Formats: sequence, C-alpha cells, structure tokens
Amino acid sequence: MNAVSHRFRTLRSLSAVSRHSLRLTQVRWSRYSPEYRDPQTDKEYYRKPLAELTEEEKCEQELRKTQLIKAAPAAKTSSVFEDPVISKFINMMMKGGNKVLARSLMTQTLEAVKRKQFEKYHAASAEEQATIERNPYTIFHQALKNCEPVIGLVPILRGGHFYQVPVPLPARRRRFLAMKWMLTECREKKHRRTLMPEKLSHELLEAFHNQGPVIKKKHDMHKMAEANRALAHYRWW
Amino acid sequence: MLNRVTRLVPRARQLDPGRFLHGGPQGPQGLAVHLDDRVPDETPRAGSRPSEDDPAGAGEQREDRHYRIPLQDLPTVFAHGLPRRFGLQTGTAVLAGVSWSLGCTLDPVAQPRRRTGAGRAAAPSGRRVCSAPLAPARPASRVCQVKTFHEACLLVRRPALELLRHLDGTNFAHPAVRYVLYGEKGTGKTLSLCHVIHFCAKRDWLVVHVPDAHLWVKSCRGLLRSAYNRQRFDQPVEASSWLKSFKTANERFLSQIKIQETYMWNKRESTEKGRPLGEVVEQGLTRVKNATDAVGIVLKELKSQSCSGAFRLLVAVDGVNALWGKTTLKREDKSLMAPEELALVHSLRKMVRNDWHGGAVVLALSQTGSLFTPRMAYLPQELLGKEGFDALDPFVPVLVSNYSPEEFERCIQYYLENSWLQHEKAHTEEGKKELLFLSDANPGQLERLCAYL
Repeated sequence: MNAVSHRFRTLRSLSAVSRHSLRLTQVRWSRYSPEYRDPQTDKEYYRKPLAELTEEEKCEQELRKTQLIKAAPAAKTSSVFEDPVISKFINMMMKGGNKVLARSLMTQTLEAVKRKQFEKYHAASAEEQATIERNPYTIFHQALKNCEPVIGLVPILRGGHFYQVPVPLPARRRRFLAMKWMLTECREKKHRRTLMPEKLSHELLEAFHNQGPVIKKKHDMHKMAEANRALAHYRWW
Repeated sequence: MLNRVTRLVPRARQLDPGRFLHGGPQGPQGLAVHLDDRVPDETPRAGSRPSEDDPAGAGEQREDRHYRIPLQDLPTVFAHGLPRRFGLQTGTAVLAGVSWSLGCTLDPVAQPRRRTGAGRAAAPSGRRVCSAPLAPARPASRVCQVKTFHEACLLVRRPALELLRHLDGTNFAHPAVRYVLYGEKGTGKTLSLCHVIHFCAKRDWLVVHVPDAHLWVKSCRGLLRSAYNRQRFDQPVEASSWLKSFKTANERFLSQIKIQETYMWNKRESTEKGRPLGEVVEQGLTRVKNATDAVGIVLKELKSQSCSGAFRLLVAVDGVNALWGKTTLKREDKSLMAPEELALVHSLRKMVRNDWHGGAVVLALSQTGSLFTPRMAYLPQELLGKEGFDALDPFVPVLVSNYSPEEFERCIQYYLENSWLQHEKAHTEEGKKELLFLSDANPGQLERLCAYL
C-alpha cells in the first residue's frame, strides 16, 4: 500500500512499549478522497486506436469516463520534453515558491553542461569523441544515479541511546538523498559569488564521472554503514 | 508564383507609414516606386549543409541556406564584437594560441581535428576581441553559438537578402539611402545587420559600425565637459574603445584617407592638413580626453570624403533609437541630460543624415536596451519618437519577422546536424511541433529553447 505509506510516517524509534506496533500519524493531507484517480497527461495513451487496446486498457478507459480525476498540478504538462526527475529536482531547488527562478536555473545548468561537453568534444581526438557524452539529460540522470546510496543509516533508540543502524533504503529515499546532497553541496560548500548553474553543472559532470564531493559523501555513508554492521539486528522490519 | 504576388502587398504597405505620416523632407520620389518594382527572384531551397558562398556574390546566396562566415574574418569585420549569445558558440579553446596583434590567420585545412576542414580556423570569440564596454549588451543567441560550434553561421533570410541586393545596386551619386531594420524582439535585426556588415566589408567598403548606441546613453562613467563646446559632454571611455575597434576593423583605410583641415588639440599638439586619418585615431587613443573629439573628426572627415569616390562608406548603427530617446546620465546638478548634450550622440546624428553620397546607412532599432520605452513597442514610429522619425525620414523600412516554416525547418536541421539538439524527443515530429509551438517561430526564443534540449 504505497499510496498510503508515503503520507504516513512510522515512529520507528518508539519500541519501548510495544516492539512490533507501528503508530501512524498523518503527515501530508490531501483534499482528495481515495476514489480520485491521478490525471493521465500522456498524449500517446489517448492516441491509441481502439483496435490496439487490450481488454484491461479498454476497461480502464471506460472507468475514466465516470470516475473522478484529480486536477493536474501546474507543473505537470503533456510536453514530450517533460521529465519527472528534472521536475522533482526543480522543486527541491525552489525557494519561497519561486518556481520560475528554479526552472530557469535548471535550464541554464543543462545548457552549461551541454556547452562544456561540446568544448571537450571539439578539443578531443576522433577516438575520444565517441566516448564523450553530450546529452545533458543522460548526464543528469546518470550523475544522480551514481550519487544514490545503496544503504542508509537510521537512528534507533535502544536502552536510552540512539544507535545509527544500517538499513536498506527504498528507491524514493535514495533519489531524494542524491538530489539533497547535490543541492547542499552546491549551496553551502562553494564560493558565494559563483552562480548556481555554474556550480551545479560542475558537480553534475564530476558525479557523472564518479568523482567529486557528492560521490565521496555517498561512500562515507557506505563506510559508516559497514562500520556499524554489528547493530544491524536492531532493525525489526 | 503566387507566393511572389502576395508578398508584394506587405512590401508596399511597409513604405506607407514611413513616408506620409509626418511632413518631413521628402527624399527621392522615385525611390518607393523603384523598390516596389524590383522583385527579387527568390529560390527557397532547404539546403542540407551550411553553404560556403562568398558574400561577394549576393546573387549566389540562396534563401534558407546557412551562410558561414570564415572565422578569420570575425576579429576584423566584427571588431566591436558579435551579439552575446551568437559569439559564445564559437570555439575559444581553438583560439588559445593565436595572437591577435599579429593578425595571423590559421590555415583552416591544416586543422586535422576539425570535422569539416573549411571555415574552422581559429579566431578569438567575439567577446574577447572587443573591449568590454562595446560588446553588445543584449543576450542574443548568436555569440554563444560561435564559441560552441567553432563556426559562425547565419541563416540567409529575406530581409538581409533584399538589403544586400539593394546595396549592390546603390547609385553612389544619389544621397545615401537609409535602411531601417525593425521588428519584434528576437526576430533577427542585429544578425541581419551583421550579415550586411560582413557583406560590405568583403566588398571593401569602409564600415562605421556602432554595435549598440544604447551603451552611449546609459551607465557611462567619467563624463567630462567638452573642450570644443561647453554645452556638450564627452565620454572618454566609450569613445576610446570605439576608436580601438574602428582601427582594427578599418586598418587599411586609415593610412589612405588624408584629413582636409588642421585640428588643434591643445596649445602644443595639433594634426596638420594632409596627415593620414590614422593619426587622428592615434591621438584619440593616446589622449583619452580628446577621444570624443577624435571620433567627431573621424566621422566628419569620412562623411565629407566619401563623396569623392575613393571609398564607399557604410554606416551601421544598432539600437539607433537611443539617439533620440532619453538618457539616464546626470549632470553635476543631478538633472537628467538630453541625448543631444552628448558629443558622441551629436556626431552620430549628423552621420545618419542623408546629406552625403557615396555609401549607405543601415540602421537597426532595438527595444531591448532602450530606456523608457514600452516592452511591446517595435515600430519605428514608437521607438524613434517624433523627433527621431522626422530626422530619419525618408528611410526604407525593412521588416524582420519570425521564421517562415521553411526557415524554421532549416534552423532545426542546422541544429540537428551540429548535434545541438540532444534530447531524443527533439528529433521526432512531435518534438518539432512542440518547438514550433513554444517558440512561435521566433528565432531568439527558438535558440533559447534549443540551448537546453
């Protein structure tokens, strides 16, 4: 029940009273009741001719005619260039609701990545040119994938002390951590006069080649988890 | 055939507002008729590779083809610098070893690492060639393009082509015809101007190019009272940087042209009659206080001597509406100055009058850098105001509009060939339709969209 779990936070550390109970508190509310379905913005879905649809898809389309559908958020479009990872990153970069600024920073970052790669491409020899990746989107996705930790640490309360216990992370938590580390690195560890697109493009390119401070942070997390592996049995899920 | 007939109508309509709204001095009456009669034979073709036509043969330039400017020409022809986003796309890494002062050119063929041999010689990016204040301030697409692609390619479009054909057939005995490029933001006025400048430079015209007149009326430091006329103000920084780029661009003419009067700079220094114009420029460069006066003298001499036929003069000014607009410069008592109180603006206004012959004047309007003009204004009437319009009347208005479907297709093809459009969906029909929708075929917008895709 993933739809439920992301809105509820489990108080994992309270194990004193009943070790196996999970107390659920609602963190994010939604104005929509459960029968509302998510909007489908993919143009290809609607363009499929009737003959090609399977029974399941026909049934779903019938249901969509009568069921209630949520309103699509403003940032979700039917554009062919839309990318959910990029949208999520833009949201994380956004401050004070200034989506226009966040989005323009993102586009400038992608442009900067592209120009740097083109410079390298033109400077390289013919054999190296084949290895140089110039698509900013593949670089972005690959960089974030390289930054995702495999295992994470969670503080668990035992006998009055908090222990950092190594724990497998769900996919969304890994993606979140990768983006968070990337943004924190750019915002805090760089010189304040450098612009975000410049900093971010540099970090993304380094992460793409498995180098740089964000990758180091991921490795540090892995090493800590390895060091604390004796505490792994504190985890009960 | 039908295309040609329908296009005659907008061209006729273009001339009407420019000519009859204000009772200004009427130019050659036959001009309007003459231009309408000449129907340029267009052969729109979607070319696959950027063509390497020599600009000297204007008839060989096809519409909807990319015309590549040889990189070794960039520093001399565009000494002031290219529009910012255009020049950024030409390679700087390649240019690392080249010394500008020696003016050496690299043999394009001898660069084995370049993919296509021709037109890939090293040249500094437009930004490095000129000194900073004169680099065009607008973030147009093309400067970036020259740096990244290692080539300067312009799409040959109808307004520029028409202008080139008219310039080809100029009658140098008649007063200088003024052409005004106007259009909405991002449609390509500055680049059309650059195209015309390159064409004329290749034909050995003397080009007086002011890359952005707006820079002369705002944010100027070091204003001085002019020694020549106490009512006017000098701008030493802007004047000296303009003189430097003018010298780079027109080196060969400076020794040929001799001045016709003696000019006293101060009690000790003077330039006698008969000395080459280069000495006046040197004086302006060495003594920065006299730079503005040197600019005035240069313009005056060129104007008076162009009638003699020794050279052909092209006056190209971008953002010409700045000359008749408002300034944000203040006098000592903190009151705003009028543009005519600036000596540079005064001399440039005299230059764009049509009381000389032996050349042409090509002007481009611009709202982007202008002061106190509404954002959506683009017509000559709105941007120049009554004073400016009367001063420039009569002129030939040249409308620069958004891309036609063929031009749009050609532009997308160029980006795809250079692998600039990296997004996999951009190669599909859906992607192209979306680009067309998002940019509305506006060249500036399209370039910005494609930059991050």
